[in-house]
Amino acid sequence: MMKFTRRDVMISAGLAAPALLAGRPARAAAAEFPTRNIQFVIPYAPGGGFDIYVRVVTPMMEKYFPKRVSIVPINVASGAGSRGVTQLYRAKPDGYTIGILNVPGMFILQQQQGSAAYDLNKFTWIGAIGDGERYFINVGVNSPVKTFADLKALSAKRPIKFSVTGPEGTAYMATKIGAQLLGLKTQLITGYKGSADYIIAAVRGDSDAVVAAVPTTMRFLRGGQLRPVISFESRSSIPGLPDATSVGQPELEKISVERLVAGPPGLPAELQNILSAALAKAVTDPAVTKWGKENDVVMKPKTPQETVAILTEQKAFFEKWKTALSAS
Amino acid sequence: MLEMWLSGFQGLLHVDVFLFVVLGMAIGLVFGAIPGLGGSTAIALLIPLTYSMEPFTALALAGGVMGSVPMGGSITSILLNTPGTAPNAATCLDGHPLAQQGKAGLAIGAAGSANAIGAIIGTISVLIVLPIANDIVLLFGPPEFFLMSVFALIVVATATRGKMLRGLVTGAFGLMIAYIGYNDIAGGERFTYGIEYLWDGIHLVPALIGLFAVAEMINLTVKGGTVAKSATAVKITSMTSGLFETFRHLGTVLRGSLIGTTVGAIPGLGGTVVAFLSYSVTVQASKNPESFGKGNIQGVIAPEAAICAHDCSALIPTLTFGIPAGAEMAVFLGLLIIHGMQPGPLMLRDHQVEIYGLIWALTASCVFASFVGLAFVRVLAKITLIDSSILVPLVLSTAFAGSYAIDMSIENVVVTGVFGLLGYLMMRYDYPRLMIIVALVLGGNIERNLHQSMLMGEGGWSIFFARNISIVLMIAIVALLALPIFRALFKYWRVRTVSVGE
Repeated sequence: MMKFTRRDVMISAGLAAPALLAGRPARAAAAEFPTRNIQFVIPYAPGGGFDIYVRVVTPMMEKYFPKRVSIVPINVASGAGSRGVTQLYRAKPDGYTIGILNVPGMFILQQQQGSAAYDLNKFTWIGAIGDGERYFINVGVNSPVKTFADLKALSAKRPIKFSVTGPEGTAYMATKIGAQLLGLKTQLITGYKGSADYIIAAVRGDSDAVVAAVPTTMRFLRGGQLRPVISFESRSSIPGLPDATSVGQPELEKISVERLVAGPPGLPAELQNILSAALAKAVTDPAVTKWGKENDVVMKPKTPQETVAILTEQKAFFEKWKTALSAS
Repeated sequence: MLEMWLSGFQGLLHVDVFLFVVLGMAIGLVFGAIPGLGGSTAIALLIPLTYSMEPFTALALAGGVMGSVPMGGSITSILLNTPGTAPNAATCLDGHPLAQQGKAGLAIGAAGSANAIGAIIGTISVLIVLPIANDIVLLFGPPEFFLMSVFALIVVATATRGKMLRGLVTGAFGLMIAYIGYNDIAGGERFTYGIEYLWDGIHLVPALIGLFAVAEMINLTVKGGTVAKSATAVKITSMTSGLFETFRHLGTVLRGSLIGTTVGAIPGLGGTVVAFLSYSVTVQASKNPESFGKGNIQGVIAPEAAICAHDCSALIPTLTFGIPAGAEMAVFLGLLIIHGMQPGPLMLRDHQVEIYGLIWALTASCVFASFVGLAFVRVLAKITLIDSSILVPLVLSTAFAGSYAIDMSIENVVVTGVFGLLGYLMMRYDYPRLMIIVALVLGGNIERNLHQSMLMGEGGWSIFFARNISIVLMIAIVALLALPIFRALFKYWRVRTVSVGE
């Protein structure tokens, strides 16, 4: 007869343990989530627009979890953002890694890079940091162009020079699509390094006009450097300007930059809900709303379903204009 | 305005704010010294810490960090030929040979005092210029940036006297690799061979670390021994000798500070180019240019003064327009916006006290950091006496780790390794390494600004002649190229008149 030594008991316990413990996955994980710090991947360098939004919202998000943990933002800025996105895509779907994605920026980037490292449709969508940003067309305050009518008249004489970043950026896309919808002839001066850079170009007179998002436009408007001439919103937030409705181009409003928050593919629904709820509460937190008002950012929360809807709409819009963008 | 200036200063005199400046200074020294980390990483890590702070205090902390980073970087540049931050690479060129001669203390002392004076001059310039900064930043556009970059490239190239052909070869190589990556002017990738990492081109800091630190460590291993050749020379360096040297070469300090301040105010060139430009101008203006690269103290003073002056005046475009003059400024901008301070003309109107507090904190930190460097000179100089069998593994592991830490990519380490080998070969065959760095930094600038200028001018070259500053710069370039001819002619004329006089 075999003698069961203590050693045998220990060994069998050791062998059985994983099987016993493995039977407690998602249920227990969701019940105890979060138990340690959560990583928030920002696919851009510190100091940029997306980085700032994340750093404003995440301290508030920490308060709204069942257990208090820290959310650690990490910047993964290589490859114009593709590395960060890939990192998020490949992360373990345990709820401890989430990230922010620029839509349609990511579509454009993926097209330019031809990268198959991630599939934007497979991410688990959690929500958004605020509403998408819409655009204005602006001119320098010293420009001879005073209204949109002036701009159209100028376009009849010669192509209008717009200063933008590179073809991998959203400003480029916004300018090209906007100009086409409005019937403006354009010549793009590309290669500027950021929004402040290309806006100063317009102020300086290097370019005739510039397409800028609402918060940036407001900032330079208040500084007395820019004059907006038309808004791409359906109802212009600056009174007295033509907008998408008044020029009869409702598609202009679809041009936007969305700040969508996502987790890796395969994130369990319970974890997605916890994260989504925390994010939504953080976005509506009074401190965040106040900051948003001061910086002209509309901080409205989005449910995962709304986020997916935004993604689908943006994707369709991008597919439609993709060929127009690749042609010079 | 004067009351604002003074109240900014008074704001720093509160104990808690002052402590934060000192804390920032300490952090900046450490982050500056470790290659791969720098001011931008330090501020990014400190942002969460500042959430509960008053804006004034947060700015004081940031100023403390930014002011001491160059000093931290210069210590490792001099002792270990490892640039702590990219601009400090210029300090390696003469700083490390000095350390090899046992004069590390002298070099660190000179670097520290040059830092401090450069910061003070930079600050005074910022305070004078800030009210009219708006107009100055608007005067410089792509045509001016293009010409400035070409000017800088020529200055640096002509400074490699005696090795002009080799300088041109390395410069051309540098330009060649500068164009690897995604071309954001017309779209499309160049020479990336499908490697995702190369989308951003050859990353500058890993290449720098390889070219200077790793190459030097290979060199040290091959030669054996210690960094300093003689122990006796190391023992006699004192705190004041470096200080004394800086005051002896006050002209160099002033020239470096001037270059740093003017170039810093224009968001075109960046700290690395400024340091090398200052170095090259000093070489050109010197009576014995061959002594540079072998331990001429002016080769340490010039770039260090320029770097600190540049850091101060880089605040101008950052605060007035939100155009960051570098990675560190970009993160700093983020800090500003999170604390509700939007850069722009409104900032200068509504947050004057905070801005002056920041400028004072920056200057104070730079000066304190120099004192810290000076105080520890004896201890630091002893590092040059450590045997290479201990030093080399230590430095190599820190260098590679720092390279990886920049953005957590292992490819950075590969780049560092490759450039390390390249750097060693260049040292062996006496090719100037500074040309690669300057070309790498300026190459992209030159192409982009030329392209933008042509687009602005609708395809013609006339745009360069239509703007005042462009014309001035073009004359400067022509004068610079003609300078050696004039010098030769002048010499010939003098010789003739002397012989005729007899």
